[in-house]
This record gives sequence, C-alpha cells and structure tokens, in this order.
Amino acid sequence: MMNTNKPVPPRWAKRLLQWYCAPHLLEEVEGDLQEEFDYQLQYAGLRQARLDYIRSVFGFIKPFAIKRKSSSTSNPLFSMNMIKHFLTVAIRNLGRHKSFSFINIAGLALGMTCCIFILLWIRDEKSMDNFHANGDRLFNLYQTIRANGEVTGSYTIPIQYNNNKYYTPLDSMKEVIPDVIALNFYATGYEKPWGRPENFQVDDKLYKSEGSRTSADFFSTFNYKVLAGDPKTALKDIGSIAISRKMAAFFFNTPQNAIGKSIRYENKLDLVVTAVFENVSAQSSLKFDFLLNWDLQMSAKLEWSSSNVLTTIKLAEKANVEEVTIKINRLLQSRIDKTKPFKTEIGLQPFRDQYLIAHFENGKPSGGRIEYIRIFSGVAVFILVIACINFMNLSTARSVKRAKEVGVRKVVGSSRSSLIAQFFGESLMLSLLALLLAIGMVTLLLTPFNTLTGKQVVSPFLNLSNWPVLIALMLITGLVAGSYPALFLSSLKPAGILKGVMRFTQSALWFRKGLAGFQFVISITLLIVTIVMSQQTSYVQNTSLGYDRENLIYVPIEGELSNPKGYASLKQQLTGQPGIAMVDRCGETPFAMNFVVDVAADGNVETQDASAAINWEGKEKDAASGFTPMSVGIDFIKLMDLKLAEGRDFSSSIPTDTSDAFIVNEEAVKQMGMKDPIGRWVSAWKKKGHIIGILKNYHTHSFHESIKPLMIDVKEFEYWGMVLVRTEPGKTKEALASMEKVYKSVNPKFPFAYKFLDQEYEKMYQNEQVITKLSNIFALIAILISCLGLLGLVMFSAEQRTKEFGIRKVLGASVANIMGLLSKEFLALVLVSFCVAAPVAGYMMSQWLQSFAFKIDLSWWIFALAGAGAAFIALITICFQAIQSAIANPVKSLKVE
Amino acid sequence: MKRVYLGEFEEIVLLIVATLEGTAYGVNITHEIMEQTDRTTRLNQVHASLQRLEEKGMIVSRMSEPTAERGGRRKRLFTITAFGKQTLRDIKAVRSHLWSLLPSSV
Repeated sequence: MMNTNKPVPPRWAKRLLQWYCAPHLLEEVEGDLQEEFDYQLQYAGLRQARLDYIRSVFGFIKPFAIKRKSSSTSNPLFSMNMIKHFLTVAIRNLGRHKSFSFINIAGLALGMTCCIFILLWIRDEKSMDNFHANGDRLFNLYQTIRANGEVTGSYTIPIQYNNNKYYTPLDSMKEVIPDVIALNFYATGYEKPWGRPENFQVDDKLYKSEGSRTSADFFSTFNYKVLAGDPKTALKDIGSIAISRKMAAFFFNTPQNAIGKSIRYENKLDLVVTAVFENVSAQSSLKFDFLLNWDLQMSAKLEWSSSNVLTTIKLAEKANVEEVTIKINRLLQSRIDKTKPFKTEIGLQPFRDQYLIAHFENGKPSGGRIEYIRIFSGVAVFILVIACINFMNLSTARSVKRAKEVGVRKVVGSSRSSLIAQFFGESLMLSLLALLLAIGMVTLLLTPFNTLTGKQVVSPFLNLSNWPVLIALMLITGLVAGSYPALFLSSLKPAGILKGVMRFTQSALWFRKGLAGFQFVISITLLIVTIVMSQQTSYVQNTSLGYDRENLIYVPIEGELSNPKGYASLKQQLTGQPGIAMVDRCGETPFAMNFVVDVAADGNVETQDASAAINWEGKEKDAASGFTPMSVGIDFIKLMDLKLAEGRDFSSSIPTDTSDAFIVNEEAVKQMGMKDPIGRWVSAWKKKGHIIGILKNYHTHSFHESIKPLMIDVKEFEYWGMVLVRTEPGKTKEALASMEKVYKSVNPKFPFAYKFLDQEYEKMYQNEQVITKLSNIFALIAILISCLGLLGLVMFSAEQRTKEFGIRKVLGASVANIMGLLSKEFLALVLVSFCVAAPVAGYMMSQWLQSFAFKIDLSWWIFALAGAGAAFIALITICFQAIQSAIANPVKSLKVE
Repeated sequence: MKRVYLGEFEEIVLLIVATLEGTAYGVNITHEIMEQTDRTTRLNQVHASLQRLEEKGMIVSRMSEPTAERGGRRKRLFTITAFGKQTLRDIKAVRSHLWSLLPSSV
C-alpha cells in the first residue's frame, strides 16, 4: 500500500528526535509528527510540511520529552532483589574456588597492610614538630658561609667571646625588628662531640639525664605544656631550671611539689625549679628532660656540647618573611667583623620543616628524611598497584569459568551496565574483606612495626577520623582492581561464549602480560634496592675501621673525674683490675670526631683567636680546611690498636712526648703537603710540637663522611672527654663490676654510666638500618604478590590450552616438554622486566650511595643476583601450575566438549 | 479538598479530550483546537499539556492498535477521568456564578 516515492520528513530531524526523546514517548510522538507531516503535505505543500516538522522536533526538546521514565523494573542497578542476587552469586563464587579467592584476598590484604603501615609511618614523620599552635609563624635561622669558594650551611649562628661571656650578634633582634615577637636560642647539653647526660642531685637522690639550655621566650615560642609554674617567667632567672614531669616525679613526687625547690647541678651549681613541663612527646624533634637558663650558658658557666645553636623566631601575624630576612642580615652585618675572609648570611626555614629537611646543599636546607618519605610514598602506591594488578590477572584468569554466566545473563536480558555494576560490586566486596583482613594484620603487627621503626604509633582504627581514609583506600583498591575484569567480562559476546569458544584478542593477552611484567619490574627494582642497601649496611658494619671497636667501654669525664686528682686515682685504681686490659682518656668519641676546625676560616668560637688555629711548617695561606685536633692520653694509640705507617708511637719513657710530640694521619700529611713529615713542626691550640709518627688513615666519622685530617697530641689530663677502657675479651662482666666499684668510690655524687663503643657505633646507622629492614620487607611482599599474579596468569594460560596439551600428550609429548612450553613465555616476561628494572634501580641506588663517602660498588653481580632470584621464584611459581597441567590425564581433558 | 489548578490552555485541551470521546490523540486534538477556537497551536504544546493533565489524574491514556498511516506506529489515546469531568464542572459552576453576579451593563 505504501507509496515508496512519497516525500518523507527530513531524516536528520527524525534522528535528532530519536536521540533525545525518551523511549516510552518516542512511538507516539514520532507517529503524531508523521501524521501531521502528511496532513501538511496535503494542504500546505512539501516545503511547509518539512519546515513544520523541523520546528516541531525542536519544540519537543523539553524536559517532559527528554526525561527517562524511572521505575524499578527498568533500572536494575538499584533494585534490592538484584543486589541480593549479586551478593549470593559473589559468595557462592568465593566458596567454590576457595584457594583462588584466598590468593586474591590475601594479595589485596597484603598490599593494603603495607599501604596502611607506610601511611602511618609517613603521617608520623610529618607530624614531627607540627604541634605548635603558631607553627606557620615559627622560623629557624640557618647560616650560609662562603669561604674559599666553598658554600656551607648549618643551623648554627655566629657566636663571639668577649670578657668571659658569649654573645651572638643577633641578641638585640627583638628590639631592632618589630616583626620578630619572640627570639629563642636553644642548645643541647648532650650533642656530640662533647655532650653527655648531665647529673642532678637532691639530698642523696642522684639523677642523670639529657637536657638543653634555652632562652626565656621558650615557652611562649613553642607549645610545650607547662604543668606547674608560670611559663612566662620560668626561664628568666639565671638560676632557674624547668624540669620534666618524669624528673619532678623522681625528685619531688608531684609537679606542684617541685616548684621553688632547689636542685644541685653537676655538684657545682644550685638551681631553683621554676616550672614543670609535660614529658616531651615523640612528636618533638627537640628532646630535653630539663631546661637551663640561656644566660647561664652564655656567661660561660656551662660547657658547650657542640657549636650548634638553634635559633628560632616567632614572627608577627602579618610579617613578610623576605623582609624580615633582609632586616636580620642587615643587623648581622652591622655586628660582625667584616675583615674576616668569609661571608656569613642568615636564612629562614619554617621550623616545622627542620626535621624532614635537615641536610644542607649549597648552603641551603635541602633534602633529608623527606627523601625517604617520597620514596616510601612511591613504594606504597606501587605495592597497592601490584596488588590490584594481581587481582585483575587472577579474575580474568577465572573469566573462562565466569564467561558462561555472563553469556546467560546477557541472553536473559542483562544490560552491560548492570554486568559492570555486578563485577565492580564483587571486587568492592573482596576489597572490603581484604580491608578487614588488613586491619587485623595491622593490629597484630603494630608492636613489631614500632620496635622496628622506633616510633610510638597507636592503632589507627580507634580514631574515627581515620576511617574515611581507610574507606577511600578500600574504594580505590576495589575500583582499580575491579576495573579490568568488569569491563572485560561485560564486553564478551554471548553468542560466542555459549557456543563454547572463548577467544581472547591478542591485545587483551598482551595487556595482561604487560601488567604482570610491570609487577615484575617493580619487584626486581625493589629486590635490587634491597640487595644494595643490605650490602652497604653490612659493609659499614663489617669493614675494619682501622681500630678495634670490640671490647671497648667508655665513661664520660665528669664530677670528681674533672679534677686531675680524681682522674688519676680512677686510672690508677682501674689498671690491673680483673678483666681490664688498659685505661686511658681521649677528647671525643673515637668514631664520631665531630669537632672540626677550619684552618683558614670558621665562624666558630674556637677560632676567633688566630693563634689558636692549626698551623704547620711551610703552611701557605688558605691552604686547607677541616682539621680535627685531638688530645689523648699517652696510651691511646695502643689502646685503640691504631696502626702507624711511619715513625713511632707516643712513649711514656720519652719525657718530651707530652710537650713536644704530634702524631698526624696520612690524610693530614696529604693536606699539609709535607714531604718527609717526621720531625717537622706543627701547632694546634697554641701548642707547638714536632711530628713523631704518622697514623694510617682510620675512620674518625661515620661512613657518610670522608676521613678528616687528624692531629693528635698528648695531654694526660683534661677536664672533659671520656675515659676509654679496653676490656679483656670475654671478661666484660668482671670488667664492669670492677669499674663500678672503683667509679663509686672515686666519684660518689655521679651515677656510673658506661657505654659500649661498638653499640654506639651501630647507632649512627640506625636510620639506614631501619630503612634497610623496611625495604627488605617490602621487597619480599612485592615479590610474593607478583608471584601470585604470575600464578594467575599461568593458570589462565594452562586452562586455555588444556585441550592443546591433551593432544600433545596423546601424540607423545613428555611432561618436561609441556612444562617447558608453559615456562618459556613467562621467563621471557621476567627477562624483559629485568631489562627495564635494572637501569632504573641502578640509577636510584647510585643516587642513594652518593650520601656515603665510603660505599660499595654497584657491581654486576648485584643485578645478576636480583635477576636470577626473580627468575628462580617465577620458575617455581610457574612449575606449581605447569606440573599439574603436564601430568593431567589427556583422556579427561579431551573428553569434555 | 485542595483545588487543582488548571491553566487556560489545559482547560481547552481537557474539554477537547472530553469532546472527542475516547478517540483523542495528539494530532486530532491539535486540529480540533485550531478549528474550534481559531487559535494556532503546535503539537509539542499539546503533548506537554496532555502530559501534565495525565500527571494530575484528569485523563488516562492507552496505546491503540498499530496504524498504517503512521508507518505502523501506535497512537496514544486519551480519555477523560471522572476527576477530570468533575474539575470541568467545578470550573463552569464558578464561572456561571461569577457571570450571575455581573451587572447587566457589561
């Protein structure tokens, strides 16, 4: 009946209508418009009819026509029935493949646990020094010194010595610069090289503790809680002391009770307690058990523990940091001696950054612990990513089994979006289970974690404010992990699946291999990192330092030992006691001789007097820098077991050795540029003498620093430093017992505090040790998770090729043939990953090793070991599945069609 | 009971649906309005009104058998409900009452 030549409405208008119009209205609207078009065609002509049609189509673009009808039947995503159904299916699937589900959830949970721990660690690091109320207005001063074309930076500030008092050129800063509303100096009493725990006494109670000296502004600059006493006036008086709750409890039971009481300090000063503060929390990088008045330090009544003075200022609310910096420098330049051959400049760094960014590069703060935070953030993300990849690989591997379900669902009428929702729902459910498991693991492992990192992290799950982060972690993991299976499975064509043909495109296979490869890149990288770090750590611990660090005990020189008589009596009584081989003194801890004197120029107190600097025969001006002068007892070299390269040791039988002899190390000879150094004169601290021997270089510092030029002379007594005791091997207990007895009789007002030199030496590398341990753990976990992923991939491949293997076996293939077939392609994958990972890891590690002056070489075997290790682990994983496929009975696999 | 608001155009559409006695659908309603009231209107306006009237419960609709002249598409046929009829009567009563109050000079 239809006339095929009949004019029709414009096709594009019709298309537009079909596109925007809601499906339930489309039929009637289209019909009505068609009818109207025919009517117009009859009465007004084609042109008018078309125009009218177009106008109407546009006229229908209105909410009522566009809005889709919503009802429970047409939108299954939000239906309770379907959700219940999906849940049932998901749980049944979990139950049916128990080992598979376990691998899946365990992988995710491991990843999450790592991630939570790393987040906890990072949060704890970032919370350091972040509790001060005016944190954004607190700044540390650092100085940049330019001398001899070298730029160095440090937190300290110039200090001058005059009329038995110390000054800083910045003392008047508050008066001169109105924007500075608080000025605080802070110096510890326990830092190396000369610092040590200090001693207190009330009646007959003795207390030894580490504390600091600081300005009266301290409690108004920082937010340390004061329990008793007035924070404003607490440190104003020169004879005042503020003590911690712990110290107050020890001496006076309660904080309130302590106020106004007197404490004897180092058996020489009586101080009055003016404030008691809460024990300093782990979140504070300033550590102190008591605080002494700053003027006490500056009036030379206390010893300096090091030349470091931390200067912190609090700025007014609207102050401009750059302007204040300029003003401070102007003040500094007007107060310092400009004839010095070096230039000093002051910079400001936010106080809260000092913990994380404490290294100086080019005279400016840059780097430090923040680098570890960056590295570990990366590790956290990577571990989570490989856990997610794992999940993807395992779920797609199982897709052969799920594909039929998808086919049936699609035939029955499920839309793609509902399938995607179903699979996302499933992955979210799994990631929820994984999160619960991770929470359990974190709770269990929190104590070991705290021991390992030396932190006091509390369980994060008790605090409600942490839950959004955890839930976000779960959602992200679930969505990332579920994305590929959801999109992949839902895209399968039902006709193909139900016919029994499961074909994967080449790109899909490559994608999955790429994912597994990526996992291995990360794992191999972490493996290399771990090997390098462990090697460096063991290098540091096992390399000979040039002296024997075992069986060495040291005790600080304090109290009665600071008198020649006391020291002599101790030394004399100790010598010959059971277990004790030798006793002598030295000025600094032998493994960290941090006291360095720049020959040419230095901003330190000690070199203000030009005649005090290091000098030698034939010295040219500005010749060298960074000498370490040290005075020791006459037996020091024997006691330490140091080796001489030339000349002779100090000897008590030659009387001039105490007044006229120096022993220098090879580095010093090199820097002084002496030929034939024996017998030439050198001088240090106004003491002039002749070189009698040359020491072989030995490690005076941590392995981060190079060996410094060293000058040793004999001073049988100084009122500071330490007593070194060499014990006989295996007789430490006897030695300690006799030491304690002697010490108590000589120095009764001071508690006996000894340290083992080898233990203290190890503590210098605490940071590296923690990082090494952490990276060991993470590498292990990364490898584990990657192997789970590889297992998934092999299982998938084996399942795909069940029939092929069946036929091969029927035709006579051996078990080894089939295993080789399966292993080959995956081993190639590991090889490719290795080629990507090795250069990346190599670059990263050479950067890390830069921070050591003494370091291992990145030799080829490290990479080979990592590669072989990864390949070996991968091979085991592959074999786990390959054997199963290879020994399977071909009759079974070929029977099923 | 709260009175249902009915617009002027909606009232006309409702009256036409009632007039056409169960055969009313988009096109014939539009034509009927143009013929009887001498005003121009467009299909989309009529459809929008019908949609609102149905939401207010004054008319109900059902789909017809497929028709050949529409290319096999079905029509949506509208019928007035009892509530629709009552509303029309109410409107008329109000109008008549107001007219009766009007002075004869108008």
